Amino acid sequence: MQLLVEPVARLIDEFSRLPGIGPKTASRLVFYLLRAPEEQAQSLADALRDLRARITFCSICFNITESDPCAVCTDEKRDRSVICVVEEPLDVIAIERTRDYHGLYHVLHGTIAPVEGIGPDELHIADLLPRLDAMPPVREVIIATNPNMEGEATAMYIARQLEGRDVRVTRLARGLPVGGDLEYADEVTLSRALSGRQTME
Amino acid sequence: MHLTRLSLINFRNYARLTLALPPGPILLRGDNAQGKTNLLEAIYFLATTRSSFARAERQLVNWQTMERDPLPFARLEGHVRRNSNTFQIDITLLPSEKGTIRKEMRLNGVKKRALDVVGQLNAVLFLPEDIELVTGSPSARRRYLDVTLCQIDPTYCRALTQYNKVLSQRNALLKQLGERGNHETLPGRDEEDQLLFWDEQLTEQGALLIVRRQKAIADLDRLGRARYRLLSDQQETFRLHYAPSFDPQRRPLLDYQRPLSLEELLPSAQAELTVSEVAEAFKQHLRRARREEIVRGVTLVGPHRDDMHFIVNGVDMTLYGSRGQQRTTALALKLAEVDLMIQATGESPLLLLDDVMSELDAGRRARVMTMADGVDQAIITTTDWSDFTDEFRAQACLLQVTTGRVESVTLDVK
Ligand SMILES: [Zn+2]
Repeated sequence: MQLLVEPVARLIDEFSRLPGIGPKTASRLVFYLLRAPEEQAQSLADALRDLRARITFCSICFNITESDPCAVCTDEKRDRSVICVVEEPLDVIAIERTRDYHGLYHVLHGTIAPVEGIGPDELHIADLLPRLDAMPPVREVIIATNPNMEGEATAMYIARQLEGRDVRVTRLARGLPVGGDLEYADEVTLSRALSGRQTME
Repeated sequence: MHLTRLSLINFRNYARLTLALPPGPILLRGDNAQGKTNLLEAIYFLATTRSSFARAERQLVNWQTMERDPLPFARLEGHVRRNSNTFQIDITLLPSEKGTIRKEMRLNGVKKRALDVVGQLNAVLFLPEDIELVTGSPSARRRYLDVTLCQIDPTYCRALTQYNKVLSQRNALLKQLGERGNHETLPGRDEEDQLLFWDEQLTEQGALLIVRRQKAIADLDRLGRARYRLLSDQQETFRLHYAPSFDPQRRPLLDYQRPLSLEELLPSAQAELTVSEVAEAFKQHLRRARREEIVRGVTLVGPHRDDMHFIVNGVDMTLYGSRGQQRTTALALKLAEVDLMIQATGESPLLLLDDVMSELDAGRRARVMTMADGVDQAIITTTDWSDFTDEFRAQACLLQVTTGRVESVTLDVK
């Protein structure tokens, strides 16, 4: 005998497949939606449908976009001689927020993580190479993957693929978080910050 | 150093416990399955942030709480006095829906990572199963080395965490390369590019583990020799040898999958190598093993395949020791560990002895009591007060454990 009616069981299953959501949380969400005003469930359904119907990936930089190529790739004012390689679309937003970067992006959609079955072929790494031959030529590739093990593995692999090319490969400097207390920084962060120290202007 | 206070909530069979503890020897008496061992486990957990007991971590949280409470948790808290300082460690265990347990650790109320908490409180645990360190598999000896070294060497602890992460990534990569590639030729440029990062990390972190293990084992060898001599009434000589999975001083041999035998080991046992020298040798051995590693889909060389040998009168105790010799060997090793901690930290660690007296003869019981008397604090479980002499009981703190409750008792000493 099925204890839960099919639409309820089905939505619980769907929610449980999302990262970080277990069966208990999934049922809580479903029963919340059952009790909430109908418009709320409707609006969630619309948002989900639009997500896949209206969003696509830029065929040049692989960022998410509503029109291909994306707004950055088609912007004539951007500096086409620099490409910043990031893990996720959210990283593009983070860098854009600084207003200090005016070059192009390349979104990998993940990092090398053999344990999860993700190798270079599962990421947009090979797609980066033809972009270097564009006119005007790319002078610099900034690798802005995260400073954790998978991010470092990805950065090293990309750097190896770019060896022998006439392009400067740089890595984001790593240091102490602003507002952080020196006293509470862990040793790895501190020693990296030391080795990346700069002359005071 | 010593523990002044221990509080437990929902830990194993303790719903709620607050216990004030004096320095010196503490005897904990109770029948079986009343919670004596759980109490030692809780203290060891505060020292190492994990359970060294081969019992499921799932059951760390009291089962009644698990069934009753919507958000079950367990909490351990210890107040420690070290030199003239006092500090507080607390660990909260939160079972997730997926059956794993999340640990939140705090030092003086400030959230910390495990490796910042390990080693704040030093403890050495004596169990009846310690003999398995001698008779058991190499992995049991490696786990023992790791837990011991992590307590006194934060750099080791950090390198070990990194090494294990790199190792599982590298094994997954080797497996993928093996499933896809052709095994007749050496791996191509792209395979090498993918391995490069993991090779560098593995050899860098692994070399540090090897150098620190070599040093610690040399110390345990020296300290254990003195301890064993006493335990065996000067009759037998004890040696502890490190058996790394490859000889860091030699070029790779063909037979790299086998830990080195004793004869191969002896000449290099003395020399101290630097981390970069060992890393370089490690790289060469990996290079040599490349094709085989890809075929088998697993990392074949490195500290995750190390071992150590206990030698008494020239005989390997793991293979040929008598039961009595093996028991004495395990005890000498644990006593050497106490000495090692004193040497490393300048203070005596907490001794936690779980029902070890019943296994020992009268002479060795006397030595254990002397030792328990000589440290800042020793907590000893027993089923029988009469395992201990009247003199010892007279100056010890006596506690009775009954179904998750602890009460202090006074015995009439005749
Ligand atoms: Zn684009």
